[in-house]
Amino acid sequence: MQQNEQEFIRILRTRLEGTLPKEELDDILSDYSEHFSIGKTNGRTDEELWKSLGSPEDVAREIRVMHLVKKAEDNRSCTNIVHAVVATLGLGLFNLVFVLVPFILLVVMLAVIFLVGVMITFGGVTGVIWSLLQIAGISAYSIWYSPLAGIFISIGMTTTGLLVIIGNYYLGRFFYHVCIRYLKWNIRVITGTESAS
Amino acid sequence: MNIQFKKGVLEICVLSVLAHKDCYGYELVSEISKRIDISEGTIYPLLHRLKDEGYVTTYLQESAGGPPRKYYRLTESGRKEEHEQKEEWMRFAASVNALLEGKNNAAE
Repeated sequence: MQQNEQEFIRILRTRLEGTLPKEELDDILSDYSEHFSIGKTNGRTDEELWKSLGSPEDVAREIRVMHLVKKAEDNRSCTNIVHAVVATLGLGLFNLVFVLVPFILLVVMLAVIFLVGVMITFGGVTGVIWSLLQIAGISAYSIWYSPLAGIFISIGMTTTGLLVIIGNYYLGRFFYHVCIRYLKWNIRVITGTESAS
Repeated sequence: MNIQFKKGVLEICVLSVLAHKDCYGYELVSEISKRIDISEGTIYPLLHRLKDEGYVTTYLQESAGGPPRKYYRLTESGRKEEHEQKEEWMRFAASVNALLEGKNNAAE
């Protein structure tokens, strides 16, 4: 493979097409071709310039991660955050442990809390219906000491369940924010490619 | 030198060079790689991030006998950020140096 400007730009383009919007990609590519052309007027060769830039695959990976994290920050969605996390994993083995594992734990935790909330709410609603049936005399089978107390307890349960779900939603939003902050810090400090020289 | 060291300080280096003068990409990269051995390719993504964050802007300027070059300039908030990060770094570096040189804290 020839280590020249065209090849460098070609690899960057192939790796980033589809991820970055066209204008942004063109803007980035123009930076690198400007770098090559000024470097060459200064008497450096294509190979030297390539070597000091670092491999285009690594450069592309870095740009890709930055873009995806930014996207996840600007547009909050499950898909975007998952894309950002997955892209960060490509930056190094380190991130498998320090990004993927905590991320999965958080997702599982949020899912469990959500399920618990749903179950409590469901139990509460069932309790209210049951107690009403009892008061109406349709159901003789009593689960509460008094159907009226049953209604209050059940309403309490429903409210608690709903509060758990709402709280979980805010907890999720909070973790999303923390996750983005962490990924940004991670890109800035932890992961990176060693200089070629 | 350790890659984490370098990567962590790259941002303040870029901001600091731009605080002295507006630079085109190649110029900025050369300024930095003259002193710090780093993959030059990673400076451009950093510049894009700084632009996204509103710390730098770009403009095109004609060059003598060549196509116009893209110059990077610090914005007001970029200047503020540079100032803050510099202060922070100076304090941090002073503390680390003091520790490494084994100065006696009891004297203070």
